[in-house]
Amino acid sequence: MSRTVRNIMAVAGKELRGYFSSPVAWVMMGLFAFIFGYFFSVYLSLFIRQSQGGQFGPQPVNVNMSLIRPLLSNASVLILFLLPMVTMRMYAEEKRSGTIELLLTSPLTDVEIILGKFVGALGLYAAMLAVTLPYIAVLFWFGNPEWTPLIAGYLGLFLLGACFIAMGLFISSTTKNQMVAGAATFIVFLFFWIINWFSDSAGPTFGPLLSYLSITEHFDDFGKGVIDTKHVIFYLSFVAFGLFLSLKSVDSERWRG
Amino acid sequence: MIEVQHLTKRYGPVTAVDDVSFRVEKGEILGFLGPNGAGKTTTMRVITGYMPATEGKAVVAGYDVFTHPLEAKARTGYLPETPPLYSDMTVREYLTFVSRIKLGKTTKAERAMRVDHAMKRTHVDDMANRHCGKLSKGYRQRVGLAQAILHDPEVLVLDEPTAGLDPKQIIETRDLIRGLAGDHTIVLSTHILPEVAQTCQRVVIINRGRVVAIDTPDNLTHQLKGAATLYVQIDGRTDASAALSAIPGVSKVTVADQHEQFTGYEVESESTHDVRRDVARTIVDQGWGLLELRPTRMSLEQIFLELTTEDPEENAQQAQAGGNAA
Repeated sequence: MSRTVRNIMAVAGKELRGYFSSPVAWVMMGLFAFIFGYFFSVYLSLFIRQSQGGQFGPQPVNVNMSLIRPLLSNASVLILFLLPMVTMRMYAEEKRSGTIELLLTSPLTDVEIILGKFVGALGLYAAMLAVTLPYIAVLFWFGNPEWTPLIAGYLGLFLLGACFIAMGLFISSTTKNQMVAGAATFIVFLFFWIINWFSDSAGPTFGPLLSYLSITEHFDDFGKGVIDTKHVIFYLSFVAFGLFLSLKSVDSERWRG
Repeated sequence: MIEVQHLTKRYGPVTAVDDVSFRVEKGEILGFLGPNGAGKTTTMRVITGYMPATEGKAVVAGYDVFTHPLEAKARTGYLPETPPLYSDMTVREYLTFVSRIKLGKTTKAERAMRVDHAMKRTHVDDMANRHCGKLSKGYRQRVGLAQAILHDPEVLVLDEPTAGLDPKQIIETRDLIRGLAGDHTIVLSTHILPEVAQTCQRVVIINRGRVVAIDTPDNLTHQLKGAATLYVQIDGRTDASAALSAIPGVSKVTVADQHEQFTGYEVESESTHDVRRDVARTIVDQGWGLLELRPTRMSLEQIFLELTTEDPEENAQQAQAGGNAA
C-alpha cells in the first residue's frame, strides 16, 4: 500500500469513526431510512392501486418505471437536505477544536487530508444508501424488477452525493462555524438544484448552460436506467472541482494563519 | 538541530514576528519567553510547518520546513496551546490514529507498542479507555504530550505545556520535559518565569515579535545588572548617602527604603570596581550598624519586565497588535 493511500485511509478511518461514535451517522441513517420508507410505502400503495386497475381493469405496470424511479428521484431530494448536516462539520469542527493543528503538522500532505475526509464522508453516505436496500429487497421478494435501472439509479445517487460532499467540504473549509457552513452548503446545493428553472427564460446562450450546470438534469437519465458517460463525467468533474477548491482554501488558510 | 533564520510573519498589516533568528543545539531545552501576543505561538507554528513564514526560513533536523515539509514534520512533535484532541475518541483510539498518520509504514503491533509506551511515559495509561472529551485539563495536556512524543521525534515543540495545570502536575510535567531532553531537542514557550529558570538551558526573550535577549537564565540574571548594584542596610535612621557616595568607584547612591529601625540604600558602581569591601569598611568606621550587604541580582522577572516594558502608550499599541495577531 503506497504511502499516500495509507494516509488517506488513516484519515478516512478517523472520519468514519467520528461519525459512528457520535450521533451524526445514526441520526442520518435513521432519518434517511425513515423518510425513504415513507416514500416507499406511498409509491408502493400507488403502484398496487395502479396494477389492480381503476375503471379500465388491471393495467400492465412496470415496477421500475412507476415505483423505483420516482422513489430514487425523491431520495435525491432527501440527500439535498441531509448531506449539509454531514459536511458542515468536516473542517469547521477541526478548526474550532484545534485538531486541525494536529493534521497540518503531521507528515501528511493537504491532498491526503482532503481526500481522506472526502472518502470518509463518502463512506457514511454509502452506509446511508445501504439502509435503503432492504426496501428494494422487498420488491425482489414479491416481484421481478430489472437490475440495470436499479444499478444506474443508485450509481446516479452515489455520484450526486459525491458532488454535494465535495462542495460541502469546500464550504466547511472556509469557516470555523458549523452552522454557517451548514446553511451556506444548503443554499449552494439548492442553487445547483434549481438553476435549470431559469434556463427557459435565460435565452439561447445561457439557457443550455444553466441546464447543463443543474445537478438534477444530469440525474434524470440515471433514474431512467441509462448510464451516460456525459453525466458521469459531469459529476466527476464537479467532484474534482469541489476538491480542488477545498485544497486551495486549506492552502490559503495556511498563509493567512 | 533547529535553526531559525530571519523569520518574519505578517498577517496583513500586522507583523507578528519580525526578523527572529536563533539556533537550538541537539539535546538542548530552549525556553521561549514573552508576554501574551509576543509572537511565540506564531514562531512555533512556523517551526512545526503549520504555516509558512512571510520571509526567512526554519530548518528542523536538517530539513527546511517549507521546501521539505514531510521530512521535517516526521521529525517534529508538537503540542499546541490547546491539545488537539478528538473529544469522541478514547485516549487509546486517539493515539492509535496519531500513530497511523505519524509513523508511516509500521505493523499494527508496533503501533500498539508505541501507543502504550507514550501513554506510560506521560502517565495517562490509567485513562486509556476514557473519552478525550471527558478528561480533566491536566490529562488533556498530558495526552497532548503523549501525542507529541509518540513517534519519538528528534525535535519537540511545546506551546505552554504547563498552562492550566495544578502545581503538582506542573512539577510532574517539568520533570517529564527534563527527562525528555538529551534524546530530544526541545523548544518550549511560557510566560511563567520560574519555569524557564528551572527547565531551560537557554532562554529567548521575545517581545512584539522581536528577540530582545538570548542567553542562559544565569547569564541573563548576572549580566543585566549583576554585582554592579549593592543593597546596603544600616541600623537606625542615619543619613549615609554622602559618606557612601565618597567611596571611589561608587557612581550613585539612592535611599531604597526607610524604616524606624533601619535604612536601606542602593549603591551603584561601575561593574569593573568591586566596592563591597570599601562600603563595609566605611560604614564600620563611621560607627554605624551594618545590617545587610548584598549584591542585587535582578530576578528573571525584573529582566523580563525591563526588556519587555516600554512607555505605556507603546504598550497599549502592543496589546492591540497582539490581540490582532492572536
